[in-house]
Amino acid sequence: MESQIHKVHQQLVNKEITCTELVQQRLDLLKTNTHNTVNSLLDTLALELAKKVDDKISKGTSIGLLEGIPFGIKDVYMVQGTYTTASSDLLKNYKSAYTATAIQKLLDAGAIPLVKENCDSFGHGSSSENTIFGAVKNAINPELVGGGSSGGSAVNVAKDFTVFSIGGDTGGSVRQPAGYNNVYGLKPTYGRISRYGLMAYASSTDCVGPIAKSIEDIRIVLNIMSGKDVKDQTTYASTEITHDAILCSDTIKTVGYFKNFIESDAIDSQIKSDFLESIEKIKAKGIEVKALDFFESNTLVSTYYTLAMAETASNLSRLDGTNYGNRIESENLKETYAVTRSENFSEETKRRIVGGNQVLSQGFSDEIYLKGLALRDSISENFEKDFNEVDIILSPVTPNTPPKIGDSLKDPLAMYLSDAYTVGFSLGQLPTLTVPQGTATGLQITAAKNNDELVLKFANFLKDIL
Amino acid sequence: MSKIMTVDILSSIKGAKPSEAVNKLFEVIKNANSNSENSFNNIHNNSLSLEDLREDVVIESSAKEKEIIIENFPEEKNGYLVVSKVIEA
Repeated sequence: MESQIHKVHQQLVNKEITCTELVQQRLDLLKTNTHNTVNSLLDTLALELAKKVDDKISKGTSIGLLEGIPFGIKDVYMVQGTYTTASSDLLKNYKSAYTATAIQKLLDAGAIPLVKENCDSFGHGSSSENTIFGAVKNAINPELVGGGSSGGSAVNVAKDFTVFSIGGDTGGSVRQPAGYNNVYGLKPTYGRISRYGLMAYASSTDCVGPIAKSIEDIRIVLNIMSGKDVKDQTTYASTEITHDAILCSDTIKTVGYFKNFIESDAIDSQIKSDFLESIEKIKAKGIEVKALDFFESNTLVSTYYTLAMAETASNLSRLDGTNYGNRIESENLKETYAVTRSENFSEETKRRIVGGNQVLSQGFSDEIYLKGLALRDSISENFEKDFNEVDIILSPVTPNTPPKIGDSLKDPLAMYLSDAYTVGFSLGQLPTLTVPQGTATGLQITAAKNNDELVLKFANFLKDIL
Repeated sequence: MSKIMTVDILSSIKGAKPSEAVNKLFEVIKNANSNSENSFNNIHNNSLSLEDLREDVVIESSAKEKEIIIENFPEEKNGYLVVSKVIEA
């Protein structure tokens, strides 16, 4: 797929379409869509911004590459004056007081926000069914889930309702829905993009991630959003990834894959055979492929969820209805907190908060939380060792194809285990990209920390050979 | 006073109970082997240089930001923001 950003940019510059027409068309598509991807439309703002772009073009002033490009935003990002609900009852009327750094950078570049997109409440889910706005329906087969937690964002891109969307990835929430809807989705290296203004789920793995239909669009949006931000002290300065830098993959000599992912009984037989076929095609191009040892899926999933639950229990403790949110009054302060949280959080969110508080409580913390942290370090050490031997790690995105709507919520443990192939890379804080090739739910390309460029480079290589 | 606090109190969620699915995850952690004994000494923890801290200054919010913060407040009465009574008379 060619770059949609370059294509739309040329259409605007050539006056084949006005920005107002473009934005109105996309808003109409979003408004009438039956995939439940929209939490709120930003129509007034979008049309105001489109008019400004049209005024510039009619005056003969040149426009930047992202000026006038319509995009979507997962409903966990602050955009001043817009509703930011996290798909929850608690925040269904909450308005952002400020704008997230990543989104502000896109606004500064002239991109036009159209929509706050449906997702699992507070990012708690892998199917975008845990939402007050109705389950997101898959772009390819609407009887199936859209994936999660950034399901609305992936479906909007797949259906061309937005040119690109900004999701959030804590344990796979960009990469898995991208795979389920056959689009690209990147989880950059942790810290490459500021988290300021992204509603916190698990702060040590939360990443801002672009979803788009081409590698070039991922590159453009990644470059704009990256950079050090004093408002997020975990950010680091990064250099721009140029178009030319990712065209040639000559530097990639060795690719690894985790053999236990592929030998597992849990993997769908078609995904397994398609993955192994992709490996053969890579070998045929003269690249050495190594089968690597890795942690069992159960250990990865348990380590990730234990730490993520501990962090979300802490992060969501501020949501008590005192200063904002849907407060439900009761006889005293403590009762008001408890009733507000009990009535407004979903079952899945409550399960994670309670699990997190178990983990952090006295008697459990050494046995579970500190052990979880130690396991995470072992996982990171394993990655460091692997990247001394291979340039890239390739893996399937999911063990199975998307489930039917309604099936995931019945069995939370099965839902957690379905994240087996994505959570490890989150714990390692590594750059990982889903490409819509290789298996029914795509492939994940992972490189060492801060090597996002290599990931995009290998994606271009795979685009040509698969 | 008992030192044991149940998860419903810890979580401020009425009737909350530990989940069987989540407990299964914890069992895996308890039984897993880890090579790293003390994670707090590990180089993988995110750390921040003292030279790299942001300035400790008060940044005034914009008028629009203040207006939205007040708009988000759940209850207002006679120009005051209403909160639950904390101190009993």
